Amino acid sequence: MRSYLLRRLPSALLVLIAASFVIFTILRLVPGDPATALAGPDADAATVAAIRERLGLDAPLLSQYAHWIGSLLKGDLGPSYAIGGQTADLIGDGLGATTELTVAALLFVIVLGTAFGVLGATSRSRWLTAAVRVITTAALAVPPFVSGVLLVLVFAVALPVLPPGGRVAFLTAPDLAAQYLVLPALCLALPSAAVLGRYLKDGIERGLAEDYIRTATAAGVPPRRLLWRHTLPNALPPVVTLLGMQVGNLLGGAVLVEAIFAWPGLGQLAEQGLQRRDYPVVQDLLLLLVAVFVLVQLLTDLVYAWLDPRIRWE
Amino acid sequence: MTELYPLTPSGPSRRSTLRAAGALLLGLGLAGCRSAVSDTSSAPQGASAARRRGGVLNVAVNADFTPALLFAQSGQSLQQRLIYNTLTRYDDRLHPKPELATSWTYAKDGRSITLRLRDDVTFHNGRRFTADDVIFAVKNLQNPVRAAQLRSTAATVTGFEKRGDHELVLKLAHPVNNLFDLFEFMIITDSESVEDAVAGKKFIGTGPFKLKKWSPGSGLSLTRNDAYWQPGRPYLDGVELRVIAQADALISSLRSGQSQLSFDVPGKSLGVVKADNGLAISDYDTGAGAVYLGVNTTVAPLNDRTVRQALAWAVDRDRLVAQTLGGYGLASAAPWPKSSPAYSEANRTHYTHDPAKARELLKSAGHSRLDLPMLHIALPGETAIAESIQYDLKQVGVHVTLQPTDGATAQKKLISQGMPALWSLGHGFAQVQPSTLAVSAYPFNEAKNTSKYRSTAYTKVVQEAWTEPETDTAAANALHQKISTILLDEAFLIDLVVRGQLQVSADRLHGVTLNKFSYLNLDNAYLV
Repeated sequence: MRSYLLRRLPSALLVLIAASFVIFTILRLVPGDPATALAGPDADAATVAAIRERLGLDAPLLSQYAHWIGSLLKGDLGPSYAIGGQTADLIGDGLGATTELTVAALLFVIVLGTAFGVLGATSRSRWLTAAVRVITTAALAVPPFVSGVLLVLVFAVALPVLPPGGRVAFLTAPDLAAQYLVLPALCLALPSAAVLGRYLKDGIERGLAEDYIRTATAAGVPPRRLLWRHTLPNALPPVVTLLGMQVGNLLGGAVLVEAIFAWPGLGQLAEQGLQRRDYPVVQDLLLLLVAVFVLVQLLTDLVYAWLDPRIRWE
Repeated sequence: MTELYPLTPSGPSRRSTLRAAGALLLGLGLAGCRSAVSDTSSAPQGASAARRRGGVLNVAVNADFTPALLFAQSGQSLQQRLIYNTLTRYDDRLHPKPELATSWTYAKDGRSITLRLRDDVTFHNGRRFTADDVIFAVKNLQNPVRAAQLRSTAATVTGFEKRGDHELVLKLAHPVNNLFDLFEFMIITDSESVEDAVAGKKFIGTGPFKLKKWSPGSGLSLTRNDAYWQPGRPYLDGVELRVIAQADALISSLRSGQSQLSFDVPGKSLGVVKADNGLAISDYDTGAGAVYLGVNTTVAPLNDRTVRQALAWAVDRDRLVAQTLGGYGLASAAPWPKSSPAYSEANRTHYTHDPAKARELLKSAGHSRLDLPMLHIALPGETAIAESIQYDLKQVGVHVTLQPTDGATAQKKLISQGMPALWSLGHGFAQVQPSTLAVSAYPFNEAKNTSKYRSTAYTKVVQEAWTEPETDTAAANALHQKISTILLDEAFLIDLVVRGQLQVSADRLHGVTLNKFSYLNLDNAYLV
């Protein structure tokens, strides 16, 4: 496993370096700049120039890039230009919120996806299988900005049982936090749960058609044991890869869902940073997201290799 | 075909498992969990209309504030009057009323003003408020880094004479008639922590609420200032300003009762709000901003005044109000709201929708078809306005290509005079003394504006209006009319709609007011 990990690390590092350069360049190509955003609506040219100089934006681009990477390597994310405070603190606050949302959504994905997969593959009721099929199709087809608004209208406006947005930190008040989490996490999880469910359904159906299942059935192994101990574990490795990819989707989708549910996570922070051309916040945040994505992929491959030893020796 | 997998479960059935899970969830729910829905409703303790005390007000805002712009009026200035006080505040007829200044006397020559200040006011850190804090506040606004729109007015204060801790004479370089605009705009901050304030670390004022927490991107949490100088005020225990960027989410927050107040509901969504019995809409018709069509006077053929006037005749202002602003707003060719001393019905209707006249003017200038770019901000409301203007101009042969852009880019182009031939944006500052518009609002600035319009006559009349000591005299009114006449005739900036500040609030909220710069005043607000 260690040598497998060592083989994968250089490409992960290369991705990070390339991403940092692309992020830096693209951000500088976007029109507008932080100095004018900071100078206010009626500033004169001298004020804008003074702010540019104070922020170091008058330096050559390559030197700005080198300064950013150098600071990052020293663990210094620098101050936010417009929002105020240190970028590290802002990202830290947002990261907590986004992690909560992503973990909750991932739980929904696992629970709902498994339910969809198992029910879809094993139910004898035609109504139930049809219902699962309709639900998964709808969950895949309806974009989060529609399903989010529908969920809010039903559960927060028509039947006011859950709050329509906002957040209470989980560690502060877990009972309230859970209620704030339900709608955004569900909205974020639905498409991924549908994908997972369909994938799992196919895997289980293929597994159930294998000869060894037929043999085990003839030998009198109980069906529940056949499903949970033999068929499902064999269907899991490709599902784990899929789940890893869904984490990336969840992180990406969180940007939109955070806006719908006023969830103060990294998505909201990125949007705010971009609006105000707060370069340090946006650069650090995007690079962090790339790093998380790379890490998740690495972990997924490791889990896959652990589940299937053949991968390690390839 | 034989079924390979006999699906008769031998363990606990799926149904019984689901039942058990359901029972567990129900049990957890009933085991004393608080409801997040009722938790945010924030009813006052022992709620009764008579006592009117307590409760936390949740205000939905669509953007967080920017501490670096604490001393400028920006997109979100609601918190200014919650944490800080100002020296005076205007009533609806632009008459100044006391706040931290109890009374004032102008010198006969208009070159100084004597302010008497309250002596019972302390900052949130316990320090006493004195004349030195006013001196600091004025000097602070004179600093270009603060980006204060009223810097030119602050800069006319050239000397200070303290007469004890609570009396102060401000000496002026020349008479100005918008000093009370400055006093309403200028928040009084603690001088020792001002750098912490613009860095977003600490906000210390004398206002009715103290900062509990600012979570960038999420909003501000404020708590009652028990040592507030107004006895028995505020009634509320606290205020939460929650950032809800998405319009639908913001409306859901109001409809579900999670928020009780907002000024950020877009015009097209007001129908939903009107249909909700628990919500009320109030329009601060003293004006808070205006929709305008900007014209770059250096781009041919817009350097011809006749062409610019043709554009002013071409736009259907009434349709703009009805279709894009939910019916709220005053169709007007001039920038002034009805409460302004410069308002007149003749100016408001100077240009109406007359496509035939627009075509005739274009023809007289030698044009039958024009192709022009127009910049606008790529937000739903702003886009709808731009498209409406585009449609009207097309009817008279002016084909406009829209250039959607984001706020930061528009801001840069506005400041750097980098606008294309046309742009549609909003402006403020017509709701206070008329001279302030021309000396402090960049699109109108006589010395340098985005339209690149310069004229000796305009500069002269603006300077005269600004330095006319009296604000409500025949002479002052004549100068205001001269400014209006130049704005209308030259049409370098074509005003379309005067917008009021629209407030959407829960029925159970009372006593909310805004000042002229959209600072929220909750001194007398209460929830029932």
